[in-house]
Amino acid sequence: MTRNTTHTRFVLFLILCFQGCFLFSQSLNDTLHLPQVEVSGNFTLRNDGFKKIRIDSNILVQYLSADLSTILSQHSTVFVKSYGNGSLSTPSFRGTSANHTQVEWNGICINSPMLGQTDLSQIPVSQFESLEILYGAATVARTSGAFGGVINLVSNPDWNNSINVMLAQTLASFNNYTTDACLAIGNQNVQSITKINYSNALNNFPYNNDQTKSTEKLSNAVYVLGGITQEAFFRLSKKDILTARIWYSINNHQIPPITTNTENVHKEEQKDQTIRSMAEWRRSDSNYYFTLRSSMVDQFMRYTLEDNTWNHHSYSWANRFRLVWSGIKKLTIRPGAEYNADWVISDSYNGEKTRSTIGLFAEFNYSVVRWLQLSLVLRQDMIDSKFLPFIPALAIEYKPFKKINLSFSTNLCRNYRYPSLNDLYFEPYGNAELKPETDYAIEAGTVYNFGKKDKGFFLETTLTGYYSKIINQILWKPNSSGLFEPQNISEVHARGVEAGLNLAWNIWRFRFSSSNTWNYCRSTNEKPLFPGDSTMGKQLIYTPVNTFNSTLGVSIIGFYGSYVFSYISERYTSPDNSTYMPGYYLSNIILGKNFQLKKITLSLQLNLNNLFDLDYQSIANRPMPGRNYALMLKFNFRK
Amino acid sequence: MILNKKNIYTSAASKFISILLLIPVVLSCSKTPIREDSTTVTPPPVNKSYENGIFVVNEGNFNSGNASITFINTKDTTVEQDVFKTHNDRLLGDVAESMLTFNNMGFIIVNNSNTIEVVSLKDFKSIRTMTGFSSPRFMAIFDSSKAYVTNMNLSVSVIDLTTLNIKKSIPTNSWTESMIRFNNYMFVTTIGNMGLPTAQRNARILVIDTKSDQIVDSIKTGKEPICMVMDKKDKIWVLCTGGFDQVEAPTLIRIDPSLRLVDRTFTFSGGVPSRLCINNQKDTLYFLNNGVYQMPVSATVIPTAPLIPSNQHLFYGLGINPTNGNIFVSDAKDYIQNGTVYQYDQSTASLLGTFPAGRIPGSFCFTTASKKK
Repeated sequence: MTRNTTHTRFVLFLILCFQGCFLFSQSLNDTLHLPQVEVSGNFTLRNDGFKKIRIDSNILVQYLSADLSTILSQHSTVFVKSYGNGSLSTPSFRGTSANHTQVEWNGICINSPMLGQTDLSQIPVSQFESLEILYGAATVARTSGAFGGVINLVSNPDWNNSINVMLAQTLASFNNYTTDACLAIGNQNVQSITKINYSNALNNFPYNNDQTKSTEKLSNAVYVLGGITQEAFFRLSKKDILTARIWYSINNHQIPPITTNTENVHKEEQKDQTIRSMAEWRRSDSNYYFTLRSSMVDQFMRYTLEDNTWNHHSYSWANRFRLVWSGIKKLTIRPGAEYNADWVISDSYNGEKTRSTIGLFAEFNYSVVRWLQLSLVLRQDMIDSKFLPFIPALAIEYKPFKKINLSFSTNLCRNYRYPSLNDLYFEPYGNAELKPETDYAIEAGTVYNFGKKDKGFFLETTLTGYYSKIINQILWKPNSSGLFEPQNISEVHARGVEAGLNLAWNIWRFRFSSSNTWNYCRSTNEKPLFPGDSTMGKQLIYTPVNTFNSTLGVSIIGFYGSYVFSYISERYTSPDNSTYMPGYYLSNIILGKNFQLKKITLSLQLNLNNLFDLDYQSIANRPMPGRNYALMLKFNFRK
Repeated sequence: MILNKKNIYTSAASKFISILLLIPVVLSCSKTPIREDSTTVTPPPVNKSYENGIFVVNEGNFNSGNASITFINTKDTTVEQDVFKTHNDRLLGDVAESMLTFNNMGFIIVNNSNTIEVVSLKDFKSIRTMTGFSSPRFMAIFDSSKAYVTNMNLSVSVIDLTTLNIKKSIPTNSWTESMIRFNNYMFVTTIGNMGLPTAQRNARILVIDTKSDQIVDSIKTGKEPICMVMDKKDKIWVLCTGGFDQVEAPTLIRIDPSLRLVDRTFTFSGGVPSRLCINNQKDTLYFLNNGVYQMPVSATVIPTAPLIPSNQHLFYGLGINPTNGNIFVSDAKDYIQNGTVYQYDQSTASLLGTFPAGRIPGSFCFTTASKKK
């Protein structure tokens, strides 16, 4: 008890000491990024009745050596289910599953066609500059089946750049070393960007093992993550831009045992090797522009358990054409077509499996009057020569005042998700007879903002309510022989409220900013699967009812700091809600200073994670690290 | 004036920040470790002793560490959940495969934790956690000082029951499962090498000479010989599932252990049979194949209709109470919620009782039986 009090006092002291130098730099814009709108923090992009937000480079740059799961769990309402540092982390939106989330890299889907999801721990923040998040019906214009949302990793060229060199080294607790480098060279017509990341972690953090009643070090937890991206942008003429990108990444990670299994630890590891590439041609004119894109994603995964290995190799070829035409007054039409093909060769499938998708889609945005905007999105997909039911989405945005940035919007949609290749073909239980899942969703929200992000007082509030009914949801359920088999049997209702509050203000020469998000979500099973099923009406497992994130940032003359607080309420671990993981609060602190020496910027940054050294588990019996540190030194030269 | 106004703003803002900072600080100071917990308040232990009753071994989910033991007191039919955790203030482990009792001790084989938890049947307190196994499955007592444990990972462990240590490991190069003692030999079923496809796995029964603890012979069986029982005429019955991926039809074979030969083979027309059991008189076989089937050892064909149909239950574990012949069968439901145990009369097949259990109730251990032994 005494220790607790002393501890608390010390932390309070620490905070008060640093309060004066908690800084949040506006000049921290990643130099590679040239956004159309200068923003800091989460910024709501809503102008067509659909919900989209952007997490900008100002935030991302403070997490240069982290992975995507850290950003999403601390700065968005997306819930990340994480098995620990460097281990499998999957996102879920609004009470839907990871399969209902599409992760994109500059617009191309990078989900595994086998699993239908992405492991966020394998995506380093240093490989993209901003993050675009689309919620619910907003995804229909991009893809079918992303009932929850789309997370898009974005990188863009800065045409004014001539040379930009960045080199960063991070030393973190538990023998974790990360090196990031970036080189951007070019002129008004050609830009080349090369990004390299390499992390090497023993990840052997100490934790309290309840089984042995002692402090142990996590074993079998080493990971190595590496990647290189080469991007080239060509301005062929005033109207034409050609973009080519290739991203090669490797990830070798051991899979640590659960706390009850520390006796003769099994050899368990996963090796991933991925090549993502794309080429895009964009032509823009006075009243139209179009993009033509082709991409190839090659994903190899090898899973080893003791002496057994399983190899999975998939190739995804995606092609897309999209036109944006605003030839008719007040009306913008965005028709498009896509053709995608997937091939998978897997030790878990009987022979090579393929899938081809043809999609036709169109968006219509019509400004009826100044205060009313209508959006209609239509999509028709054909998968393996079978038509998926028609997908429509409709949105209305209402702006009652001319001079006040207040808008109300509502949208509704019907969406379908085709089963993943594992659902269809996993040997011997895959079920080729599966039907697509169906989602009926409705959403309503409001956004209000006042002032400018960079100067003076700024306020932005958002409030969104959603309701989604998913039927024919695929569930791996034991059949009469007791073997798991995917079936279209589950019905899930997910509803909730998302609220956001962003503030920025000046006190003397300090610039303060505060970004807060809260998500309330009830996602429940609505169909009994067998007699005596006690899961009816119960919250889905590992789906928190409440999540809250808050960031307070301060900056002054090159110093910056932020305090990041996140709360996750209890998550049930059994579908009958008989067991649960208690909710927890985590606090992190970031402190840094940028030294400007003519064209060189030197940055020194300290990240303090799990400030209060909370002994917690996010998933049952998977230990999480206590208080830990990361120190980053960054060199940046820009001409 | 302007300065004053600015000060007011500044102090208000400072207060706001202080409050903002303080809220999380206060909230964050909880020192209770965040661990999985039960939403229902666990009642205090209802049993003073665990010497008479039925243990339900709840496997729990693989890689989740939620295995548990449920105790059914046969006298007053009360049910106590999570007995191990209650008395030992720690989790049982990951995937509890089976349990047996001997000499007033309970041995719980925890497969994916690579342990055998030895508890006193008096108070269920841990006596010892035996380690050094490689995915242990089942344990069989040979005599008062020696026992054998099958492992998925290529060995049979020999246990010294006086020290509760592993004495020796007999390499098998294959996944071993069920065991039966016949004279000075242990008959051990083996599924073959896990790394190979089922069709190539060498399924057989290994014969271990207990004097030398060496494999001295083997008998070929159908694919995946998972359970074995001995009848009143000392014939060994082996249930072979045909492989999890059903590469061949499931079979029930009878072996003459003295000749070490298969002398009878019954082929199933369908389904995935499992959990072969025998009653105390050793004249009637029971197994699961969607429903519960009953088959006299003298039968010439496999029964076509179940004694107890599953009625959409997922029958997963089966046990025959040696004292009265009652059938205990567990419903694992969807494998992810808590299961239920049903007790049926062996002749009328009428339901005698329903007991709540833990996650994936897979096997039973009847304590009165070991006492008689």
